Amino acid sequence: VTDGSKLERRYRRSLVWYPPQFRQENSEEIVAVLMACSRDGQRRPGLAASADLIRSGLSMRLRPSARSSAPTVRAAVRLMYTGAAVTTLSLVIGIISLAYVGQGAATLRAAGRNQPFPVAIAVGIVVGLAEIALWLWMARANSEGRNWARVISTVLFGLATLHLSGNKDALQVVFALVTWLVALPAVWLLWRPASSEVFKRQSVTQAG
Amino acid sequence: MQEATFLILTALANGSQHGYGIITDVQEISGGRVLMRPGTLYTALDRLHSDGLIEVDGEEIVEGRLRRYYRLTPEGAKTLSSEATRLQAHATTALTRLKLAGGMAL
Repeated sequence: VTDGSKLERRYRRSLVWYPPQFRQENSEEIVAVLMACSRDGQRRPGLAASADLIRSGLSMRLRPSARSSAPTVRAAVRLMYTGAAVTTLSLVIGIISLAYVGQGAATLRAAGRNQPFPVAIAVGIVVGLAEIALWLWMARANSEGRNWARVISTVLFGLATLHLSGNKDALQVVFALVTWLVALPAVWLLWRPASSEVFKRQSVTQAG
Repeated sequence: MQEATFLILTALANGSQHGYGIITDVQEISGGRVLMRPGTLYTALDRLHSDGLIEVDGEEIVEGRLRRYYRLTPEGAKTLSSEATRLQAHATTALTRLKLAGGMAL
């Protein structure tokens, strides 16, 4: 096995970050360019080139329907993925702080001994996971130009606004505020004229 | 328009090119400053294609490897032209003002 074919196999492997459809249509061509860009005798993909493939592949997965979209919708979708990331972080930190800090930890230890797992904590985790799923679902549906998704996103934002004052724990307040601040421009962007154009066009396509 | 996008469109301005050709051309246009990586290039090409600014202009196999050629669409040429005009206007303003200031300071 020559160095060249080893390198080629490794390049092919790093294309898994791209969406399957894109890979199917473009991998031969991209591998050709990667090979043309490589040095003589190179056996492994360079760090920078690999990082670039990962970043590009993931970014392409995160915008599944950049086709027939508008910059405002894309920006809103990126904010929604940011929202999902912030929610994930808040859930992880929430679980860690519950498990190791303060009264929650004591409750958990007690639960380990003789009580069932505290329902409130289980509910909190499920709600957190549901929130992440909602962010991702909304991001995807909006990026596909579904008008119902735009409406649901706005309603969810309204509910989040009403709920803002409902948090007691300081950490919860901070995270609720951060996610709200991510959601605010996202909703604003969804209702910009350029976005409305996309949603209108998409609903016409679906009807026809 | 992002610089990378501008440079790709400029590389295609006077005829079709394949991926590797665009990378070397972009490097030349930018005076060696912009080294575009294949991942970035193909993400940009995909977006430009879906925005209708470029289109595929044939394929060939060279030494067992696929080469796909891209070219500007009329829409792409129009977009590049208006962006270039805008940048030129900005550059002219900047240079004019610097010259005015230079009359006193430099």
